Amino acid sequence: MNPTRKKRIFNILIVLLFSISGISMILYSLNTNLDYFFTPSELNEKELSSSKRIKIGGMVLSGSVKRDGSEISFVITDYENSINVIYDGIVPDLFKEDSGVVALGYLRNDIFEAEEVLAKHDENYMPPNIEINNDS
Amino acid sequence: MIVEISHFLTILATGLFLLSGLFATFINNTEYISNLIARTYSHAFFFLIASFGLYVWLAATDNFSVLYIASHSNTNLPIFYKISSIWSAHEGSMFLWIVFLAIWGFIFNFKISQSNPLKSLTLGILSLVIVGFLLFLLLTSNPFQTILPIPPINGADINPVLQDPALVIHPPTLYLGYVGFSIPFACAIAFLIKGNSDIEWELMVQKWSIMAWIFLTIGITLGSWWAYYELGWGGYWFWDPVENVALMPWLAATAFIHSLSVSIKSKKLRVWTILLSILVFSLSLFGAFIVRSGIIDSVHSFANDPERGLYLLGFISLIIITSLILFVLRFSKIQSIERIKRFSKESFVSINNIFFGVLIFSVMLGVTYPLIYEYLFNQKISVGAPFYTAIFSPIVLLACIFLIFSVDSKWSRRLKSNLLDLPVVVSTTSSAIITLLFLYFFDINDLYMNLLIFVGFLIILRYMFEIYKLIKFRKYINPFSAIAHMALGLLLISISLNSSLSTERAMSLKIDETVKYKDLSINFQNINLSNGSNYDAIKADLLIQTTDGKSVKLSPEKRRYFTRGQITTETAIHASPIRDIYITIGDQLDDGSWVVNIQLNYLIRWIWFSAILMSFAGILLVITHKKSTFTFKKSIS
Repeated sequence: MNPTRKKRIFNILIVLLFSISGISMILYSLNTNLDYFFTPSELNEKELSSSKRIKIGGMVLSGSVKRDGSEISFVITDYENSINVIYDGIVPDLFKEDSGVVALGYLRNDIFEAEEVLAKHDENYMPPNIEINNDS
Repeated sequence: MIVEISHFLTILATGLFLLSGLFATFINNTEYISNLIARTYSHAFFFLIASFGLYVWLAATDNFSVLYIASHSNTNLPIFYKISSIWSAHEGSMFLWIVFLAIWGFIFNFKISQSNPLKSLTLGILSLVIVGFLLFLLLTSNPFQTILPIPPINGADINPVLQDPALVIHPPTLYLGYVGFSIPFACAIAFLIKGNSDIEWELMVQKWSIMAWIFLTIGITLGSWWAYYELGWGGYWFWDPVENVALMPWLAATAFIHSLSVSIKSKKLRVWTILLSILVFSLSLFGAFIVRSGIIDSVHSFANDPERGLYLLGFISLIIITSLILFVLRFSKIQSIERIKRFSKESFVSINNIFFGVLIFSVMLGVTYPLIYEYLFNQKISVGAPFYTAIFSPIVLLACIFLIFSVDSKWSRRLKSNLLDLPVVVSTTSSAIITLLFLYFFDINDLYMNLLIFVGFLIILRYMFEIYKLIKFRKYINPFSAIAHMALGLLLISISLNSSLSTERAMSLKIDETVKYKDLSINFQNINLSNGSNYDAIKADLLIQTTDGKSVKLSPEKRRYFTRGQITTETAIHASPIRDIYITIGDQLDDGSWVVNIQLNYLIRWIWFSAILMSFAGILLVITHKKSTFTFKKSIS
């Protein structure tokens, strides 16, 4: 093998090494920083650690919204299972009972402590994975 | 009747653009043919503009027999919102997008002389791209559809959060940026087709690329500013998928204009510049695909329509695949033999181009990963700010360190830097001292934030030394680079301090109650009902006093719009250079008190100011750009 070819192969190997380590670092940081999205029923089936930030999507159960000072508590339901949520802050304009909502936060002792509550900026929005039957 | 004329003119324009494209691609380039292409393009352009003009007139005169206008406008709206309702939803905004694309091409046609060897081909390629979009408009998103026989008496109204001056200009500015990159793209493709490496296409497109970059920068900044005061969330960037798909072309475009200047100065990185021009345009199209296919949930997304998504995906794939095949075929002809010297200015720009690539790749991964993940594991996920912060902080930091090295470096020569140079020592130590002072007084505990503040100051001080040398010893500096990079330093400092110092609290307040928050005392004075022309509102009056005796009155509102029943938040902001006091009002509680949210957003104005300063550097470059550099006579040697 002549020296120029040797050098070229060496350079390619260096580039490959850097790209692979770079991509794996990005993927690692992606996997440690992503938020899982669950419906209340999916949440029931899984064991989750309370240190993992997750998103819960569903409908706000009618009659469940209670306020105490600036703190608000409500129930997110998919009409099969539900979960209690507490949140300290202003809920978005489109937050109302019987309407779609997504909460981001941590599950602690079966209560979901939300850091952020989102309502889709669309009156006709329905969270994914929920089939509504009109009787409920 | 008018809508049919408008529709017909667009179809006519499509045919003519197609002709212009075919002339350029299939017939050998004689003077007669290139004149024919230029003229066909102009005619097609005038038909398209006439069509759009008629459409604007239809919108301005409340012609609700047009389905699109009936669903997005209303007689009660002021005239400029009637017109801006055209770009408030998918079909009309696509129409505007195409018109802008055609305008760029028209100015190109007008400005570049007929003798330019790339002109006809570039114009032809542009025409074909326009045809692709026009077919998309006519086949999948027709804005000319009518409601017959009986049109509605009034329209459905524009979404109230979009009834805002910033939203009148934000989409057009952004679109001008996106489609502006079609010019360097088309030139690069024309260059590849010609396969003559003596032609300096880079010089020809520099001004155009920077203009498109300016529009993109200002467009993104306007969007950020609008979201801040209108949506009531109080931030300037949310890593929303639609923001991300605007950030990707911006990053690629920034890498592109850097690479472009290297190619012009020293004939290096030419291959890379071509790839970037293809990348920028593809990412602009990818943005259109993400927003308009409804494939990703976002506040911005238009209604879900798989047919549109498929068309756009096919169109983008066609463009990328043909460009890349062409690139591979011509690779041997355009490859530069000269190697880049270590520690030369080119080497630093190249390294930072790699960092730009990493950032683009990461954002792309963050946008598409939820789709891939759900497909593979059947589990919905979302990627938010923590991921992007984890990637951007170290990469931007590294890139800035190379940027600082590049200040001293020379084109095609090794950097002979002495680490004990006076400017280096002084700027490094003073930046370190400033950073430590911030750390001490404001207790900034995030390592990356401290480091970013440090490099931010370092960049600014380093360039200040250069400016000093310019004044004192007439030493040449590139003023555009100096301004743009100092703006970057300012941006890093303001982002870091903003994220470290800003605070927020929600509280419940009764009328006449006073609470203390930080150095403020907040007195909830009153709440009253008020009426606007198309909404009613609850308006709160709060008197805010600082410890040094200054007081401001802020009145946040909650509005309910009649036509859609939609509720919106009107924030009340007391803006100042140091910090914004940002207040929104929530619901009334059972005990009669109201939920009030207060945010103190530090240095947030400086973030937008830095972005504007960056685009100002671009504007300065465009207006002082020497005429001779775009004509072609000199550049063929």
